[in-house]
Amino acid sequence: MKLDVNALGTFYRMAREGAGLAAGRLTHMLGVETQLGVTKLNFMRGEEIRHDFEDGSEKVGVRVKLTGAIEGYSIVVFERESALRVVETLLSEAGPDADVDADVDDVGEFDEMTESAATEVGHIMNSGFIDGWADVLEAVIDVSTPEFVEGQTSEPFFGDIDEAPSDDDLALLFQSRIETVGTEVGFNHYLLPKRESMSRLLERLRTSDGIEYDKLEGFDRMAERGAEEVAKTATTLTGIDTSVEIRRLNFVSLEAIPEQVANEKLVGAAFEFDGMPSGYLLFLFDEDSAHEIVDAMVPMEVDEDGFGEMGTSAIKELGNIMASGFLDGWANVLDTTIDHSTPEFIHDIGAAAVDPVIIQLGENQDFAFVFDTIVVADGREFDCQVYAIPDESDLERALNNLEVDRIEETPTTAEFQEVDNA
Amino acid sequence: MKTYGTEPGAPTPVQVGISELAVSDGDDTLKSYGLGSCLAIALYDPKTGIGGLAHAMLPDGDTAENSDRKPGKYADTAIRALLRRMVEQGAHYTDVEAKIAGGSDMFEFESFGEGVGQRNVAAAKAELEKLGVPLEAEDTGGDHGRTVEFTPGTGTLIVKSSNGDNGVTEL
Repeated sequence: MKLDVNALGTFYRMAREGAGLAAGRLTHMLGVETQLGVTKLNFMRGEEIRHDFEDGSEKVGVRVKLTGAIEGYSIVVFERESALRVVETLLSEAGPDADVDADVDDVGEFDEMTESAATEVGHIMNSGFIDGWADVLEAVIDVSTPEFVEGQTSEPFFGDIDEAPSDDDLALLFQSRIETVGTEVGFNHYLLPKRESMSRLLERLRTSDGIEYDKLEGFDRMAERGAEEVAKTATTLTGIDTSVEIRRLNFVSLEAIPEQVANEKLVGAAFEFDGMPSGYLLFLFDEDSAHEIVDAMVPMEVDEDGFGEMGTSAIKELGNIMASGFLDGWANVLDTTIDHSTPEFIHDIGAAAVDPVIIQLGENQDFAFVFDTIVVADGREFDCQVYAIPDESDLERALNNLEVDRIEETPTTAEFQEVDNA
Repeated sequence: MKTYGTEPGAPTPVQVGISELAVSDGDDTLKSYGLGSCLAIALYDPKTGIGGLAHAMLPDGDTAENSDRKPGKYADTAIRALLRRMVEQGAHYTDVEAKIAGGSDMFEFESFGEGVGQRNVAAAKAELEKLGVPLEAEDTGGDHGRTVEFTPGTGTLIVKSSNGDNGVTEL
């Protein structure tokens, strides 16, 4: 099985198109404005999907099995309270005569009526996505009857699905988020395609030689090594115990990247890097975290407004060392060297710091693989978002040069979420 | 970010995301957040109150394959698409005026050459001149981000800069 950027681009368009149709139908059904959040194609290990899912909140989902042009499962997942709120809105729309007792605070369980209403909503959402994909693929996708699932872990949602990736399998996951404007109703959508079905699709959509799917394991290893190094160097330099909270490999349209970044002033450092691959690397902290870091790194009391000279140089120094660590992690996996520029200090609206990079890449590509990492500290303000965005053709070449044997030789040194910071 | 089901006259400003454009004829405000090197292009007809905002990312759409599908992505095609849509809604071509903001050069990276922000500003100015649309005001360049809010009815473009004292400029 091989994939290339054109095939992934079509997948991405499918996901956007599907999310658009689903959002439109939700608007129609509930009579509220809805907004499309970021759509992503994620390459995730089964273990990470489960970790991601298990945030301790109660969830309900509506699941359908797909056959035809895509085989696999499409699952709409609501936070439990969101689902109840949607059902409440829907049933009150149905008319004042409807005997509804779906007040969010009172209802602990879904009764027959609310369950069937939630299933109906979920099914209409799923159908929206699926119709969108079928439009893009110009093919027929058949849908099973919907199934209502609830629970706190991923088990009831994915546990009994053969297609669900095992802990170490790297799966391609389509993820979208839709929210209603002004209320806190949102849901996530997952598509878990069957491996053979995806392989057939990729074969059909591919326009270049592409990358062996198994080499994506190298991506994952790069992401892991880079993230570990960042957490390690941050701890060494600041004395703050940090760990990797999330690391993910996304395939997104360039325009979607700034949308992901917090719409507030952030502080950080930006780098360009050169080698195989070349690209851009950004470390972004919220202002509170940045102040905490400066306090930890600059021992004396500094009487400066904002970040001043001392603060700026502390952030740049931290950024510089984290960048070296991150890129060394990549270079080890790829058996190459990657150089990086001196740091550029950022203290600006998040999106404004990211857009120059996507503009530069946008001259030659429409999509990007984004290595998305969040490093956090226990009990202290340290929230660091790392965006590594390599040049697409370089990355493809780097991966193609990668010997799969070599991936085996640089085994995982730490379990996910248990990075050793000592 | 696209909003589905937005009613005209809704109180929330319409968000114009990267590569998007929007045209309006009322008191709606059109808003673009966090422009770095991207360029906000506001066109309006003061007599009819019809106007639009584009959030362009790259300078030159004429050489790009997908500019007909995404005219808002490029400064030149965005200006033409805004003009066309405004005229379709009743604006008079010869009355249309322009204001632009953004096009910062945030980083001095070698790969950026002369500056990605400056290229966008230059491309927009060249296209406006070609089409005979007067550029009434601009707040471009520098090395800081901007958030803009445009009200087509009045032609007011409010620019919030994120440098120093977070100044607000009204163009």
